[in-house]
Amino acid sequence: MTDQKTDESVTRSTVRESNRRVDSAVMGAISRFHLQHGVVRMLVLTLLAFAIFTAVKPRVFLNPLNLQNIAIAAPEIGLLALAIMLTMLTGGIDLSIVAIANLTAITISSLYTAIGATDAGLAESLAPVIVLVGLAVGAVGGYVNGLLVSRVGITPILATLGTMQIFNGIAITWTGGKTLYGAPAMLTTFGRTVIAGIPALFLVLVAAAIVLAVVINKTALGATIRLQGANPVAARFSGIRTDRTLTSTYVMSGLLAGLAGILFVSRNPTASADYGSSYVLLVIVIAVLGGTNPNGGFGTVLGVILATLTLQIVSSGFNIIRLSSYDYAIAQGAILIIIMVIDQVTSGRRRRTVPKISDALATPTES
Amino acid sequence: MSATGTSRLAALRGSNNEGVLALILVVLVIAMTIVNSDFLSAGTLFAILRSSIVPTVLALGVLIVIISGGIDVSFPAIAIFSAYTTVVLMRGSGIDAGVVLVLVVSLVIGALLGLVNGGLIARFKLPTLIVTLGTQGIFKGILIAYVGSRYIAELPLGMRMFSTQSLLTVPAGGENTSLHVLVVPAIVLCLLVNFLLRNTMFGRGVYAIGNDTEAARRVGFSVMRIQVILYVVAGVLAAFGGVLHVTLTRSANPQDLLGTELDTIAAVVLGGASIFGGRGSVLGTMLGVLLIQVINNSLILMGIPSAWQRTAVGLLLVIGVGVQAISARRSSRRVFAHREVVAPA
Repeated sequence: MTDQKTDESVTRSTVRESNRRVDSAVMGAISRFHLQHGVVRMLVLTLLAFAIFTAVKPRVFLNPLNLQNIAIAAPEIGLLALAIMLTMLTGGIDLSIVAIANLTAITISSLYTAIGATDAGLAESLAPVIVLVGLAVGAVGGYVNGLLVSRVGITPILATLGTMQIFNGIAITWTGGKTLYGAPAMLTTFGRTVIAGIPALFLVLVAAAIVLAVVINKTALGATIRLQGANPVAARFSGIRTDRTLTSTYVMSGLLAGLAGILFVSRNPTASADYGSSYVLLVIVIAVLGGTNPNGGFGTVLGVILATLTLQIVSSGFNIIRLSSYDYAIAQGAILIIIMVIDQVTSGRRRRTVPKISDALATPTES
Repeated sequence: MSATGTSRLAALRGSNNEGVLALILVVLVIAMTIVNSDFLSAGTLFAILRSSIVPTVLALGVLIVIISGGIDVSFPAIAIFSAYTTVVLMRGSGIDAGVVLVLVVSLVIGALLGLVNGGLIARFKLPTLIVTLGTQGIFKGILIAYVGSRYIAELPLGMRMFSTQSLLTVPAGGENTSLHVLVVPAIVLCLLVNFLLRNTMFGRGVYAIGNDTEAARRVGFSVMRIQVILYVVAGVLAAFGGVLHVTLTRSANPQDLLGTELDTIAAVVLGGASIFGGRGSVLGTMLGVLLIQVINNSLILMGIPSAWQRTAVGLLLVIGVGVQAISARRSSRRVFAHREVVAPA
């Protein structure tokens, strides 16, 4: 009898022991999962969207032409989303990116046609210079934003709301509200180039994403940007030059917007002041969907890229099953709100349960 | 300067720089009159007032949301959704509805859409910009994909009868210019919202949660209830603005108003409301809207291409907010050498 009892208690304790071990292993796996929570979730969503439309219309959706179209439409939106994500990392926002991108496109198109009017060959050979001037316009636009935010001290949302109107106004006046035609052949052939089945435009996005990821994660500037967003007071007291950090953030965001503007003219040899007016809100949706915290401090490049792809897949899929762009607008809004609600509910639960474990360990390894 | 002198000056300036705005308006009007003697006329005045009707009503809803510390970008979608759906419903049911029915139906729709915003924001404590960005897409999408995408010129009686009504007519140089009757509801709404914000517990609550949500909660305000109600009120005001817009343009076009959200927010912020919440007034907002309309009008009269309007409004916004930010910084530096205050006071 007694033997049996001890036996039982022994087995019970070993069961408890192994249970505990399994528990801790699972907890470890879960916490590791949470570390990449935004990215993993986005990956699941991307695959889900892909699977759904593949299942519904495999022939049309998996057609290489359709996939290429997705890869051609995504880069400009992806670049703008990366730009806004970068400013959100510091707790700000940049509403002027689409206006900057259009200004870059208009600069390139009108410089090219102006030089081409006197000497077509010269305009073509000067194409790299023209493109650089366009990029510089983006950087200057970003610098203006940076000055307003860091030196004057205007809240980013208001500063960039104002500059959005200013840049857009300049673009409207410049073009007289008309669409400009003409772009260097160098750009338009680049826009049509396909390397190993992948459009060159998409490779631009990939390259920009890699560079940005390195800047954010591996450089001192990246660390100060993230700290600035996570805790501006701590950033200041740890001796970080807040104004410099902010200025460089907005210059980078302007450069990314300028790059997007170059893609505008590469895709289509036209430029106008009101191109992509719905992009401002779209890229905010993408950035937030990709796990960027609009209050600053957190966001990943990979998450934003995956969110861009997801929305492009949904947009293209909706097209194929003959749903209008307005159905797509509904889907965009619904996805955004559902993700935010799920995030809020689960993060609330996590916040309530996690402290017990972390209190016991008392060593915060990641923030 | 004596103490009473400074306080009188401060009173003139207004708690949200209303006095400064009024001064800018007056200076602008005088300058315009010197440049172009046609400017100071009943015709110009009436035109500016008429073009301010819809922006003012829409701005009132935005003002309430901004005072509470939020940002609403869904109000143009709510406005046109409510007005257009009402027109479609009236045509579908074959009722040539009068004013009361038109208003009731559209305001109820506006209230319901506002309830969606308020419910999501209050229940899940989500960022207001993100939620209204999402609902804006949903409202716009449902309206155009499912309610209708067609331009409708035949309006119900309740809208039709006011479309060309004038409040007063003044003879000016051979032909008559008249003031549109719909300035009356716009002014009444301004007075109502002013009363709501300044003289009711709800209004105090809106300012309180805009200043400090946690403090408001501890004092005993039901933050959730105030947030839900304020988004419903903002929805109702947007719907009213939508009805006025359809009445004034004498047609219902589901693409109208969309995309004007940032212009209206700019007007409210110019009117002295703080984007961080807790500050703002109806008078300031009215002046902000008027200032933008006067600038638009004077640019046209000065022969400057209307394309510069956006630039002018943008510059005005950056300068206005920039001056506030710099002065706030200076005064905060004087008080606490180390405090980080970027909020425009």
